[in-house]
Amino acid sequence: MLRFFRRGRLDAERAREMQAHIDHAVDDLIAAGYPRDRALAQARRRFGNPTAIREEIYRMNSVPVLEPIVRDVRYALRMLRKTPGFTAIALLTLALGIGANAAVFSAVDALLFEPLPYPHPDRLALMGRHYRSAKSGDDHEIGSNGRMWFAVRDHTSKVDVAVMGGTAGVNLVAAENVAYVSQQRVSAGYFRVLGIPPMIGREFTADEDRPGGQPVVILSHDLWQRLFGGDRAVVGKPVTLRGETYTVVGVTPSRFPVTEGGGRFDAGTGIDLWTPLRPSTSGEGGGTNYEVIARLREGVSWVEAQNDVRSASPDAFVNVDPGDLAELELVPMQAGMVAGVREPLLMLWGAVGIVLLIACVNIAGLLLARGATRTREIATRMALGSGRAAVVRQLLVESAVLALLGGVLGLAVASGTLSVLGSLGAKVFGLWQPLTLSARVLFATLAIALSTSVVFGLVPAVQTSRLDVQAALAETGTRAVAGASNRWPRRLLVIGEVALGVVLLVSAGLLIRTFVHLRTLDPGFDESNLVTASVSLQDARYREPQAVAQLFEETTARLRAVPGVQNAAVALGMPYSRLLNDGMRRLDGPQVDKPGEGRITNEMYVTAAFFETLRVPLRAGRTIQARDTAASPPVAVVNEAFVALYYKDDPQVIGRHLGPGTPREIVGIVGNTQQGASGWGHFGPISPLPCIYIPVSQTRSDFLTLVHTWFQPSWVVRSSLPETAVVPELRKAIASVDPQLPIAGIRTIDDLRGAKLESQRFMMWLVAGLGLIALVLAAVGVHGLIASSVNERTRELGIRLALGATGRQTISAVVIPGLVLAAVGVAIGTAAAFATARLLQSFVWGVTPSDPITFGAVIAVLMAIATAASVIPALRVLRLDPALTLRAE
Amino acid sequence: MTLRKSMGSQARSDLLQGTLDMLVLQTLRLGPAHGYTIARIIEQRSDAFLQVEQGSLYPALNRLEDRGWVDSYWATSANNRRARYYRLTPKGRRQLQQEAARWRELVHAIGLVMRPIEG
Repeated sequence: MLRFFRRGRLDAERAREMQAHIDHAVDDLIAAGYPRDRALAQARRRFGNPTAIREEIYRMNSVPVLEPIVRDVRYALRMLRKTPGFTAIALLTLALGIGANAAVFSAVDALLFEPLPYPHPDRLALMGRHYRSAKSGDDHEIGSNGRMWFAVRDHTSKVDVAVMGGTAGVNLVAAENVAYVSQQRVSAGYFRVLGIPPMIGREFTADEDRPGGQPVVILSHDLWQRLFGGDRAVVGKPVTLRGETYTVVGVTPSRFPVTEGGGRFDAGTGIDLWTPLRPSTSGEGGGTNYEVIARLREGVSWVEAQNDVRSASPDAFVNVDPGDLAELELVPMQAGMVAGVREPLLMLWGAVGIVLLIACVNIAGLLLARGATRTREIATRMALGSGRAAVVRQLLVESAVLALLGGVLGLAVASGTLSVLGSLGAKVFGLWQPLTLSARVLFATLAIALSTSVVFGLVPAVQTSRLDVQAALAETGTRAVAGASNRWPRRLLVIGEVALGVVLLVSAGLLIRTFVHLRTLDPGFDESNLVTASVSLQDARYREPQAVAQLFEETTARLRAVPGVQNAAVALGMPYSRLLNDGMRRLDGPQVDKPGEGRITNEMYVTAAFFETLRVPLRAGRTIQARDTAASPPVAVVNEAFVALYYKDDPQVIGRHLGPGTPREIVGIVGNTQQGASGWGHFGPISPLPCIYIPVSQTRSDFLTLVHTWFQPSWVVRSSLPETAVVPELRKAIASVDPQLPIAGIRTIDDLRGAKLESQRFMMWLVAGLGLIALVLAAVGVHGLIASSVNERTRELGIRLALGATGRQTISAVVIPGLVLAAVGVAIGTAAAFATARLLQSFVWGVTPSDPITFGAVIAVLMAIATAASVIPALRVLRLDPALTLRAE
Repeated sequence: MTLRKSMGSQARSDLLQGTLDMLVLQTLRLGPAHGYTIARIIEQRSDAFLQVEQGSLYPALNRLEDRGWVDSYWATSANNRRARYYRLTPKGRRQLQQEAARWRELVHAIGLVMRPIEG
């Protein structure tokens, strides 16, 4: 079989071989005493005809079935070259359809279906809780508090469990290097449960993983290489973390797949080191800040494991109202991890699915149109004796060649799209493995394209073979009048195409409107000329409020002294960032909360001049000032959203007191600022969240220690200097007060906002891009339909013009059917879009899913495009010369 | 397959199919050889009775190689010319054994039939 494809080269070799034969014969004859010329003649005569021999061998190497197919492929390529317009459109359609699908599905595949990168990933679970109350129904959540963790650790036997806490940036001093690294706190057994033990050393023991345990650390492979140059004798060496000495006990293998709380994965570069979590039921462990991972023990089924975990529930929850249900439950790890990205991914998948559908519809339409114009050619070939099988085979080959070429281009589109998806989407989707083009996806999409083109490519063959060959050749019978009967398939295709286009464009429109809405929200402060820098204060030297307040005071004083700097302040959070959620109690006023019935709110500490620096407007009372110290009465400033939520009917908010702890007097009300989505309530990705501001000097040591494990305070500077001049001043100011504090991140307000809107922007661009493709494809479809109907009706239109019809009337006759089809498609699409827009609910902010502006704009754009796509080919009618047309036929 | 009797008698002997293949394989048992040598060896070993026609030889070599019974390589001949040499593969060696055995049986059987009739 191989020889079939190598025939050409083999033949040349054979020719040389035979020449060698003759040469040897000549040599022998000369040796026998013949003169050279006679020897040559004799040898040639004896040999016979080398060409005949070569031909025989060539035939021997031929495969009878393949021979005509190769001919058909050549013919198909020639046909495609001869109709460059058709070929370009068809290939573009296929490339976009196949490429976009393969890329997006590869991402979906990698995230939703590809097994997690751990041994036996199907035995891994996350622990969650299931609440059911008469008031709010069923609620499933992943995440645990200290009590839940101890319950499952101490009262289960069928699962191996471990727990992880949050990740944070910390300052590390090791082997004379200072670095800002990413730290995750995990319990003893974390690596055992995941199934990937440290490469060097060991993981944490239970003794190290309890309050007051030995300070030990496990390094990532990367950090070990970076700090210790891959020294295998690293175990036992000290490193300094936030001012404390830790002993290295282990190193993970390279590219250890990290799990982070909140369903985030990283392909091994995310975390630099691990320290023991030391779980407790107070502080961090008082809220659901842990994530419990579990591995089913050998031979344990999921049902047994679930029951085992559920049986620990009584110890896990306190204060459950009678009649309510609170249970521990296991969620397969993969499902738990991707819970947050499932929806956007499936939505994307739906969008590319629509693009593929439109692409197939377009290919079908194109092939049908082409089939119509080729009726004569096929009839001629059949009249000349070509069998029906040969005609069908050739059309099949043509379709297949087209689909395969499209597939190759699609591959290029797919790999391009995938790299964009990978880089843009990494943060949005939390990819835990690099995206690679999935071969089965590519083949599946190619198969769809192939079958579409083959099925619709065959239509002309079937039609023609039903045709009376003579009638088709005589042709006046079929071409004089518009044959309406065989155009219905194409009309339905165009309607479908337009309808799908509407659905996709409405989705894109809603996402664009959402993004514009979020982008143009009133920030609530003056965004210009601000630079922020965050610094980790997870440091033994900054446990006391006094030390922290002093650091803030000295650094901001230095900054204010810099010429060009107008103001400077420090706060736990910045606008657009996520804030600390904390409980609070109203102690007086019309509504009072009983002890134990706190309300949730956002909270941050600030230094004096915070509101002045950001220029947050003061609505009543006063802002936080330098005179609010540890010694003065505790105060708080709240924002308008807080007042609207908790003091709606209270005319006198100033002077009210808030708990818990020492009552804090509300001394001022400020305007709202836009903040990042919070863990509670139904707020958009950024929204004006209710917030309490307290002076940093009036915080407590345990509060600071806790919040600094989660948040890094930010310095904010307003100045007339360019950003490049402010940053060194910021660094200098902080370093001059404490040279051991490296700056974690310098950001402008635009960066902060951009980071929050990243996933919105990503989805918007992606769906808008797909919408644009859909629009182009739909326009091509409509254009193709009208253009070919003008072609087919040339003679009829010529007669009409000859009989006195004006150009305008003739054009209308061609264009109106196109517009009617487009209108029908738009109507169907609008109805479908109303239904699908509801699925987008969770992605849409600031606009209703049935947003009339979006729908109106999409309908207008599609009708305009359809009109243009119909009118342009119809204008050809004007160039018709009636006399010429009639004669030509 | 056509074998030509020497002395230019042009008599066509309709020998059994595959005989030339067997002859070529047998020739190659002596060692690798190029087409011209193969033809000469067959001629010489048959006392010039069998003269191999090139129009049969080369298609036969192509067929043998296609079936994996021989493989080929280019080398320089004793005459200092580049020529394509063929050699037996292990598969070809087994094939030759089978064919030789069958051939002996056939010759024996024909011999039995053709033995002088007594009486």
